Amino acid sequence: MKVLVVDDFATMRKIVKNVLKQINIDNVMEAENGKQALNLLKSEKIDLIISDWIMPEMTGIEFLKVCKSDETIKNIPFIMVTAEAQKDSVVEAIKSGVDNYIVKPFTPEKLRETIERAKAKVSAQGG
Amino acid sequence: MDVKYINPFLIATQKVFKTMFNIDISMTKPLLKQERTTSGDITGIMGLSGDKKGAVAVSFSKKGVFFIYNALMGDGCNELGPEVIDAIGELTNIISGQARKELERVGLNLKAAIPIVIKGDKLETSFITKLPIVSLPFSFPVGNGDKETMYVDFSFE
Repeated sequence: MKVLVVDDFATMRKIVKNVLKQINIDNVMEAENGKQALNLLKSEKIDLIISDWIMPEMTGIEFLKVCKSDETIKNIPFIMVTAEAQKDSVVEAIKSGVDNYIVKPFTPEKLRETIERAKAKVSAQGG
Repeated sequence: MDVKYINPFLIATQKVFKTMFNIDISMTKPLLKQERTTSGDITGIMGLSGDKKGAVAVSFSKKGVFFIYNALMGDGCNELGPEVIDAIGELTNIISGQARKELERVGLNLKAAIPIVIKGDKLETSFITKLPIVSLPFSFPVGNGDKETMYVDFSFE
């Protein structure tokens, strides 16, 4: 599985990579923002997107909406990572088509479960 | 300042430390700070808005932050460089997010700005409010039987 981690903070990308490594996912690409991520998605076969919520240039929600409206990448499971644990934020993400979300802080096991649910959701939708 | 707002920050900090570092962090006696200064060598600060306005700050000593950075990243460090600053900003963001979730349960809805991080002890900061700052000291082990203190300071009105 090739995962694309999108976050404007290098530290957070590294944290997510470390957690992915603990669940045996080593093939990870990184992007600093949604625009960079969209460029990578044009040339790389990505199996899973894990994106931060608040980013400059293009927010996580904006990036999510672009992905879900593009026929070539809309079926890539998309997980939002957020420190915003409040209901409004979660509702907004779901309405925008996120396949699952995870709230920081999270354990490796929680991330694994979140990934499995996101993949199952996309699969059920025929993706 | 209503004391019911202390528990959300306590719960949030304990949850974050347990989940991210597997540390059972304990809070010592809360204080009311009149002086509007940072409480450690490095501090992450986030402005708060919504039902109330104010700020929350998370401060570490150098020794404490080096330990936390190592626990978080698996890398050692001995200076307050860009990666450490990033890490403290993110930790402040995460603690703030969890605290705001708990505050929502007691009827207070707050939004947070992007964190900023400043280096230096006892630096003057504006918490925007006129109320005293509630300072929550948290003690955690850093190896060799030593302990360091992290401060979660907040004020909103």
